Order: sequence, then C-alpha cells, then structure tokens
Amino acid sequence: MQGVAWGDGMVGVAAGFSARVASIAGNFAGREVASKRRGNGGPGNNKDMAEGSGADSIRGRVGCAAEMAAWDASAAVMGLTEVCRKDVEGFKSRILGFSCSNKRQARSHHGQPTMTSAVASPWHQRRRRVFQSVFQTDVSQPTPQTTPCVRFPDQGHVFGGPPPQTGLASGPLFSQQATQDLLAHAHAPVELSTSSQSTIPAPSQSNLHPPPPLFPPLSRLDNQQAAFDRAWHVVTARIALPPSATADDSFGTLPTDSQLQLASQHAAGASEDDFAQALALLVHHSDLLPDATQTDDIVAWHAQQVRAHFAQHVMPLLSGCLDDGGEEVLAAPEGQQQRGPGRKGNYYERHMFIAMSSIRTLQAALRLYFYGLGLLVQGFGRLVDGSTSKESADEVEELAVRFRRDTHALVGNSASDGLMRSVRIVLVRLIATILGVPWAEDGGSAPTQQRPAPPTDDDLRVLAARHRLHEFVEQLHNVGLAGERFQVLFAEIMDTMMSRFVKGAYAGVWAPDYFGFSSTPDTIPQPSASPTTSACLVSLGDWVENHFARLSLEVLSRICPEAASPVPLSDVKTYQSLASGRLAALRIDELFDIVLAWPMSRGALDDLRATITTSARRRQLTTNFSRTLRTRLLHPGRSTLEILRTYISIIRTFHTLDNSKVLLGHIEPDLQLYLCQREDAIRVVITGMLASPEELQAVRKVKDVARMKKANRDKGADAGAFVTPSAGGALKTPTMGRRRGATPELASTGYSTAPDMADQLPSSTLVELALILNDPAQTRRTAPEEEELDWNDMSWVPDPVDAGANYKRPRSEDVIGTLISALGSPDIFIKEFSSVVAGRLLGGPARFDQELRVLDLLKRRFGEAALQNCDVMIRDIQDSRRVDATIIKTRGPTQAMETPVKTPAGKTEEPDDEEYHARILSRLFWPDLEREHFLLPQPIVEYQQWYERGYEELKSKRKLTWLNQLGQARVELELEDRTVTVDCSTVEATVIYAFQDPNTDGPVKKSADDLYTELQMDEDLISAALTFWAGKGVLRRGAQGVYAVIESLSAPNDDGTAGAVKGEAEASVAADEGAEMEAAKKQDGAAGLSAKEMERRAMYWQYVKGMLTNASASMPLAQVAMMMKMLVPDGFPWGNEELQEFLGEKVAAGEMEVVGGKYRLKK
Amino acid sequence: MPYEDTHTSTAGSIPAAKLGGARKAAEPGQNAMKRLQTELMQLMTSPAPGVSAFPSADGNLLSWRATIEGPDDTPYAGLTFKLSFEFPSNYPYAPPTVLFSTPIYHPNVDFSGRICLDILKDKWTAAYNTQTVLLSLQSLLGEPNNASPLNGEAAELWDKNPALFKTKVMDRHKDLEDD
Repeated sequence: MQGVAWGDGMVGVAAGFSARVASIAGNFAGREVASKRRGNGGPGNNKDMAEGSGADSIRGRVGCAAEMAAWDASAAVMGLTEVCRKDVEGFKSRILGFSCSNKRQARSHHGQPTMTSAVASPWHQRRRRVFQSVFQTDVSQPTPQTTPCVRFPDQGHVFGGPPPQTGLASGPLFSQQATQDLLAHAHAPVELSTSSQSTIPAPSQSNLHPPPPLFPPLSRLDNQQAAFDRAWHVVTARIALPPSATADDSFGTLPTDSQLQLASQHAAGASEDDFAQALALLVHHSDLLPDATQTDDIVAWHAQQVRAHFAQHVMPLLSGCLDDGGEEVLAAPEGQQQRGPGRKGNYYERHMFIAMSSIRTLQAALRLYFYGLGLLVQGFGRLVDGSTSKESADEVEELAVRFRRDTHALVGNSASDGLMRSVRIVLVRLIATILGVPWAEDGGSAPTQQRPAPPTDDDLRVLAARHRLHEFVEQLHNVGLAGERFQVLFAEIMDTMMSRFVKGAYAGVWAPDYFGFSSTPDTIPQPSASPTTSACLVSLGDWVENHFARLSLEVLSRICPEAASPVPLSDVKTYQSLASGRLAALRIDELFDIVLAWPMSRGALDDLRATITTSARRRQLTTNFSRTLRTRLLHPGRSTLEILRTYISIIRTFHTLDNSKVLLGHIEPDLQLYLCQREDAIRVVITGMLASPEELQAVRKVKDVARMKKANRDKGADAGAFVTPSAGGALKTPTMGRRRGATPELASTGYSTAPDMADQLPSSTLVELALILNDPAQTRRTAPEEEELDWNDMSWVPDPVDAGANYKRPRSEDVIGTLISALGSPDIFIKEFSSVVAGRLLGGPARFDQELRVLDLLKRRFGEAALQNCDVMIRDIQDSRRVDATIIKTRGPTQAMETPVKTPAGKTEEPDDEEYHARILSRLFWPDLEREHFLLPQPIVEYQQWYERGYEELKSKRKLTWLNQLGQARVELELEDRTVTVDCSTVEATVIYAFQDPNTDGPVKKSADDLYTELQMDEDLISAALTFWAGKGVLRRGAQGVYAVIESLSAPNDDGTAGAVKGEAEASVAADEGAEMEAAKKQDGAAGLSAKEMERRAMYWQYVKGMLTNASASMPLAQVAMMMKMLVPDGFPWGNEELQEFLGEKVAAGEMEVVGGKYRLKK
Repeated sequence: MPYEDTHTSTAGSIPAAKLGGARKAAEPGQNAMKRLQTELMQLMTSPAPGVSAFPSADGNLLSWRATIEGPDDTPYAGLTFKLSFEFPSNYPYAPPTVLFSTPIYHPNVDFSGRICLDILKDKWTAAYNTQTVLLSLQSLLGEPNNASPLNGEAAELWDKNPALFKTKVMDRHKDLEDD
C-alpha cells in the first residue's frame, strides 16, 4: 500500500527519482519543465491520485499555503513534495511525450473533498495526518505490494508495460529510444533472456521487454515473487538508514565516504556476494523473475527512505541550529537585519555559526545517504563490470549523479527562511568586504561615512574574506544549498552591492581629477570631447571588471562547476553597462546640484555624457531635470536674478553635456514660460550685459574719483529737445546746459532711471553676462553656421536621435543667444534694450565701450536694421558732444549770461566756471521721452535761448525742443553755516532754486502749493523734490506742508532745536534713496505712462467708433473685444473687463449707449 | 520752446511701415492683410471728416464696410451712405470692389449700387487706399461725371432740373436698418 498511502505527492517523488535517473535535465530543469505541467499527466500516477487518500490532505495543505508558511518543518516538506511532483510530472510529460487530461480530471475530482476536509478538520489532526501520510514511520517494507501502473495500466498508456520508474532512458536519448521501443513492440515480442549475469542487459534494456501479461500464471508468480522478496530484503536491510530519532548521534559518528567503501569491502565478505546477487535479481527482475509481479525499484526505494529520514530527523535538527540564533532572527525581519537589536555579540559571527552548523548537519546527513547509494552503486558497478558496454557504466555513474542532484534539490528546497537569512547575512558581509563596499556591521543602523573604494589586492581583510567566501560557497554547494535560491540570493546581493558602490563612491564626486584624471580646461568647452570615457566611468569599469565580475566568476564557478565559463565576457560587459546605468541615474538625480556647482562639476558632466547613451536615458534626464527645476527653481521664492544665473549655468552645463543643444531644448520650455512671467527678466539680462566686468569695475572705481571732477565738466547736461527739420531726416535736439558756480547750479542730464541702475551695480546684476560677453570663445561662433556642412570638421557627429525635425546644429555654447531667445520675441528685447541704453546714454559716463560691444553682439544676432535706433542714439550722443563744443566755441564765452545770481544766503556768484551743455537727440530714434512742463530758473532759460541760437546758426532750419526734466545739475548751496554741493536732477535743482529769495531775511518758507503756482510743475515731482532736499538736510518740513530752508544747523528753528533738525536730516538721508527711487518711478509712471495711455485710449475709441459706424451699428462686448484683438496692431492688451470699463466710461460720457446688451453709438 | 513736428500724427507709423516694406512678401494674402491693417490704423489715427470705414463684423479683413456722409451744398447733404468694400487678395495691386449698399440716386451709380469711377477700374494704382477712395467717392457725390453716366436720367436731371433731382435723391435714399 505504499504508493497509495503516500499519496500523489510522494508517488510523484518516487517516480521522480527514477525519472531523474533517466534524465539529463539540468539542475533547474524541474522549474522550467514545471511550467508545462498543466495538461500533461503521467499515466502512471493517475491511479495513485485517484486512490490516494492521503493526497487529499496534502492537497489541502498545499492549497493552504499561507497556513503552511507558519509551520516550519512541514512547510519545507510541502514545498519539497510540491516541487518534486512538478519535477516528475514535467519529466514524464517529456519522456512519454503525450498528454492526458485524466490527471486534471482526477485532480478536480478529489480536489473538492480535500479542500472541505482541510477546512473542516481541526488543525492538529490535519497536521498529524499530513505528516503521517507523507512520511511513513515504518521504513522497512520488504515487499512492495504492487506497482500500480503494472497492475492497472491506464487506458491512455501507450506502451502498456514499462512503468515510468524503470524508464532509464536518458533525456537526450529519449526520442530515439522511444521510437525503438515502439518499433520493437510493434513487430514481435523479444525473447526473454534467462541466462547468467553476463547476459543480463543493462537497465535501460529492460525497456525492450514486452509488458507482463495481464493475467500471469499464479504458480510461477509465487515462486519468482518470493525470490524477489528475498532479494529485496537482503538489499534493503543493507542500505537501510538508521532509524534513530535523535539524529545527533546517528550521523555524528558516521565514517567518511572513503572509509565507508573500505569498510564495505573488508567487512562485508560473505554478505557482499549475497548482496550483489540480490541486487542483480532486483535490478533485472523483469528478466530473471519475469513472473514476480510485485516488484519495485530499489533506487527509488532508497530515495524514499532518504526523504523520509531527512524530513523526520534532519529537519528538526536544522531548525535546532536556527534556534541558536534565537529571538534575534525572529525579531529582525528579513532583509533588514541591520535594524535588529544591536547585541554585543558579533552579528555576523552568530549567523556564520548558524550557517556553519546547519551545513555540518547536512553534511553528516548526506554522508549517510550517500553511503546507501554507494553500496548500490558498487553493486551496480559489479554487475556492469561483467558487461563490456561502456554505456552501461556511464549509466550507473549517471544514476549516482542524479541521486546526488536530487538529494541536493531536496536539501535546497527545504532550506528554511531562517537559514537562508543567515546565509544572506554571511554573504553580504563577505561580499561587501571583498568588493570594498562599507557595510553597517553588527546590525548597527549608522551608515558608515567611509566611501566605498575598490580594495587593493594585498588587503589582508579582503584576502581572508575571499578565502572564507570560497570555502563557504563550496560547502553550501556540497550540501546542496547552492541551488536556485542561493543563486537568486547571490544575485540580489550583488545587485545591492553595485548600487551601493555606485551611490557611495560617486555621489557628489564631481571633480574631474578626483581619480587622477585631468579634464578639459575650464573656459573652453570642447565640443569634440571624447564622449565615451570619464574618470568615474573608468574607475567604475575597473571595479566591475576586477572585483565585481571576478567575484561573480569565483562564486558561480563554485556552484555550477559544469559550466565551462560561468561568467562569459559578454556578462562582464552587461555588468559594466548596468553599472554605468546606475551611475547615469545617480548623476541625473544630482544634475541640478551639478548645474549649481558649475564649473566645478565638470567631471560629473563627463560621467553623464559618457553614460547618457540611449534616448530613453536622455528622456529620463530631461524629465527628471524639468521636475527638479519646477520644484527647486521656478517658484516665487527665487529672484529673477537667481533664476537667470542658474539658467546661464544650465546653458553652459548642458552645452558641455550635449553640444547639440537638444537636451537643453527639451528642458527650456518650462524655464522660458516661467521667465515670461517675470517682468524684470529682460531688464536684468540687459543690465547684466551692460555691466562692466568686475576687474574693470575695480579699476574704474579708482579712476572714477579723478575723473569725476574733470568729467563733470564734459558731462553734457542734456534735456532732449525734439526738433523736426522740415528738410526731413534725423531730428536733432540740443539740450539745455547747466550753470556751474551759481548756487543752484543746473545741469540737465540723464534719465531718471540712470541712478537706479548705477545703484544696482555690480552685486545685483548678472555680471556673468558681461564676463561671457568678453569671452572670445563666445564670439567665435557663427562663421560656419551658414554653411550646410563643414567638411573640415573632424569631430562631426550625427544629430542626436531625439532632435526635432527642423533641428539645426548650433556651433557654440552661445549663452547670451540662448538667453535672449528664451526671453521672448526679439522685438521686445530690442525695445527694452534701447530704453535701457537710452537711460545709460543720457546719464552715464562719457564712454560707452560696453554698450558698443553689446550693441555689436546684438547686431550680429538681430541684424543691423533692428538695432538702427541704438546706433543713432549712440551717434547722437557723440555728435552732440561735438556740436556742444562747437556752439560754445563759436558763441564765445557766455558774457550775456553773466548775471550775478543771488544765493539764498545772498552771495553773488563768480560766473567764470558756469557751464551749460546739451545733448541733442534724434527724436524718432529714441524711446518715448515725455516732455515735462515746468518753468526753469530764469538764468537757465537764458542759457537755453543762447544755446538755441547757437544751434540754429550751426544747423539752419532746425530747432530745439527742450526736455527739461531729463537734465542733471550740480547745485552748490551756500547756507549760513555751510555749503552743500549736490548732483541732482533738473527738477530738484529748479525746486531748490525757488527757495532763493534775496528779498527775505531769514529762512525762506514755501509750501508745495506755492511751488506749484510758481513753477507750474507737476505736484508729484514737486513733492518728490522736496523730499529729496529734506533728505539732504537743506529743507525742513514744517506745519501744513510748509518747507523751510535750514540756514544754520545750529540755529534753533521755529519747530525745534538744531539737534532735532540734524537728527531728522540724517534720518531722512537714509530714507532718501528709497524716496528718490520711488519718485523716479512715479515720474515714469504718472507722466510717461498716462500720456501714452491716453493716446492709446483715444486710438481705441476711434476703432470702436469705426466699428460701430460701419461694421455693425450695435455689438455685444465680446464681439467688440474680438474685433479689437484682431485688428489693433501690436495686439490689444486689454481683457474683457478692461474693455467693459472703458466702454462704460464712454457710456457715462454720453457717447454710447447700451441697448439689449449691445453697445451702440449715440446718435 | 518750439516744437516743430509736422509728422506728429504719422510719426508712430513710420517704423511700422518701414518694417512692412522691408519684409519680403511671404504670401499675397498676407501682404494684403498687412496693408489693410496699416490702412485701418491710419484711418483710425487720422480720420478724415465725413468718411469712415471698418472691417465687417464677421471678422474678415478683406471685406469692409464704409460710411460716407453726403457733402454739404450737394443734393446729398445730411444723408449717410453705406458702402461695401471687397478687397482682392492681391490688394493693393488690384482695386477693391466698391458698391453702395444704401440705395442712391446718382449719375455714376446704377440701381444695384455699382459705381463708375475710373480709379476703381483702369486708373487704379497701389498708391490709392481706402481713405482716398472714400474721399474720391465723397467728391463724386458733389461732382458727378456726367460724361459717362450709368444712370442717364440722373445725369440729365443733374443739369436740367436740380429740384427734381433732389426729390429723386430723397425718394431713392433709404437708411439701411442695421441688424
């Protein structure tokens, strides 16, 4: 009843052994075959399954995998049976080559009761039943009851006879053999051989014999059956395993294999012959005892014994070994051993001990098993000795190999998780040491700060670890633990090690010469830089080749010695590409920091360039970087300046990375979109470009002091005056000059924006741009750009695969060009540029080197025509200097003007150093300059008239229009106790001049309203100027907004003491700058914009009128807006709300009316 | 402080015109569009008295509607006439098709509004524009070309019986009701 009682699982196992014996399937053939098992059923075990009562519970257990997991020993056994069954089934399907659905039917047939019973019966009972059904306690069953497949051949059994157990045909030989079999059966039954040992056919030949008759004669059967039983007894008694339950003693003392053989040869003496004969009888029972129907395969029997013994005695021992590891193993979840309780004892040593004691236990057990096998093999060997067939000898050997392999599979598959965990810990430790990856020891959680580095060859620790690992792996292999699970484990560990090494060794290591390499010099990017190597990559490749691959080779060659080369060269290449992929991923994650660290991070870029080889990685890089950009740069917390600075770094970095600029193109849209929201972006760029390089700045500072005095004289005060000559052409504007010496000395020069910009220099500007501008490498571009192909370009490479359709390869880094194109349309940029330049020209120093250089650059980019205005502007300034000189010379000294001017203090002035200069602007070419009306001081007006006459003499038919508010003046105020000299705007100078009143003794007092009447100046300007002078400590604000001159700081005033005044003055000096800038801005906004805005509104009104007159008499708001958007040149900037407001005003003014939601003109 | 600038009104448009001129004509239609936009801009910034024009409400820039007020001292005084302009895609190298939408009794206009005016036919040059056409038509109202009438009766009456002419004009005229 053995077969039946074992259930299909174990029958499967039994069959599996013989099947295995006949198979040359590789170590893991079982796994791959297993996938085929569905639908393929061995006919041999159909019966068993149908009859197997124990099978139910097995299946139940197998079905309840989750429960099983908790139950160590039987869980392992279950896994074992499951796997073995798969092996067998898979094998059979291969050997017999036919499929049969019976099995599946059978399975489903009794699958039902299984599950229900499994659920219904109590846990312990099931456990006992399972255990008993799988492992029989009584191992010595002398006479196998029957071989079910012989007695009950299945319908689908083609061969009708040879049970699969005896099918010793080797896998590769199978098809041939099977064909022969078929032929043999088809033709005639082969004569039974009854002769001596020498003619006993090799086991494989038994296949050739016909199946036993279905109803054999009883008498012969009895005799031969008895003989077989006797032989069976002899053999099994000899090879039986010790039944001891306390396996500790039972195989602690076993002799080694060699001793075992010796002993058997010496001692066995008489019984040896008996054994041999009995064995012969058993093996060739079908020939010798053709009528013995109840036969069995001795090898399969031994295999069963081994299994039973293993499960019963060895498994508990193994779990005993684990218990040494104690709570810790249980406490530490798998894969997180580092976080286990930090015991003092060496974590690794303890696990090493667990692993080693398990290995020793297994070794002892295996010795025991192989002893039995050894006897059998010897017996077989003797049988074969007689025959000359070399094939037979081979097969005997193969039998032993297969037994060994199956036993190893048994061990490997039943290894508990705990054991594997220990093995993992030991491996991790050893491999980490060998590969030079620092690993947290003893479960300590603190990661080591040490960087991973490839160990040197003479490092004793490494040598020891390597030696230990070799031993360990060999031992594992010998006891069968180096199976698939081990290989998976090993692969996982190696994978982790590679990641750790790459991350640990290269994170943040960007310096090009970190590994003793020197890279390209900083300033000149080399487009042809070799794309295939980098320092990090070389060292990583070295590590992979000399350490990683070497270790893999060593380990793999130990666990699968059959393979000729476990790690072929192609695998090494794969490892290296894997490693470079990890490096790429690392660098991609770091890319933003790399950009920030530019140019110190050049080495990292080399790495990236060398590793970003596929378009997938390129895409990964761009998407990853864009994401980082959004989270780290493009948010309101970053100033425009910072963003632009980073952008420059990005441009340079990406150019180094990929000089085709395709990558840059992928990440730019985000940036550009964001920069468009930053209104000051263009201005920042332009001021940055116009900023002098830092070293020049330093030099200039020194010079400035000296030049100030001299240059002030040259500094033409100019207020733009627009003159349109009737002859056409350029418009010339002379400017007003300024008077020096007179106390309120007026000099008109410069835009109100000029001081702001001067204040910003240099820390808050993009000085980088100016530096880049001066970099010759930047200007080297564009020469070959127009050509289709540069035939002399030896470093030509094809366009990148992810380049767009209209892709054109750029020739150089071209930071400025990229930056400008990112800022929107060139028109806007040029507009902004000319207004900035206008400001600088009007206010700035006498020379415009930087402006000219930038202008040149922009000309090259946008063309001469686009920047014509700027050209004219610069020429205006240069011309006006000449004209200015001529006028002053030809008009002679300004005698006419030599009217002594009384200061507030009542002093007269020496007229000789009075100066008045003008800048003459061509109106059409300058940005809109609003005229601000106010009355200049009389002396200045006289100067203006004088200058005007001079100009008209010089250039006939041209007239000047003065832009009074744009000038600059130097004012010297002589007060009672001090003299104050201030450079200020003409507006401010005019205001303070108004405080000069020779007829009043004591401080002059005026309110803003007084000044408004007197000067006819914009109120905003007046209050700004008053604040300015108050800040200078010249004026003091009294009650009701009346300002008074502080003649004497020490003299008490009406409102307070001198000290208070002084304090106030100082305080307001601090606030002065802000107020000044504010005022300037206001001036810009209120005066400049509103006039422009009015003009624009008038034009829009014309459009609306035209529309409602002609297109349609009445229109809804949306249609008006749509038409406006379509028709207004340069775009219609208003939204619907603004338009509605505008139209609402017109309705209120009575020009329009709203009828039925539509606007129409009032008739 | 003198401020002499005779081109005040058009100053802003000079660079734009320059730009337009410098640009190569990409497509004839584009060119026409550009030109029409400029013309519209001019009409809006410096409107001529008594005439106005604007693209039609459907947003087609090649189709305009215009309005002419009848000049004083003519039979048309106080009347308002609507016209439609259809510009060809090669405008300004071909004249627009101009029709009176408002019924008008005039020697050089037929009953379906077609106009006989040499500058809209063979005398057209690219120097003309919408505004000049409108001004020409306005003056045509006061000074019809009776030598080549489309409406012979009107041409006769113009000289012989101004009173009857005026009556006919008033009879014929009918203000278009806007949609």
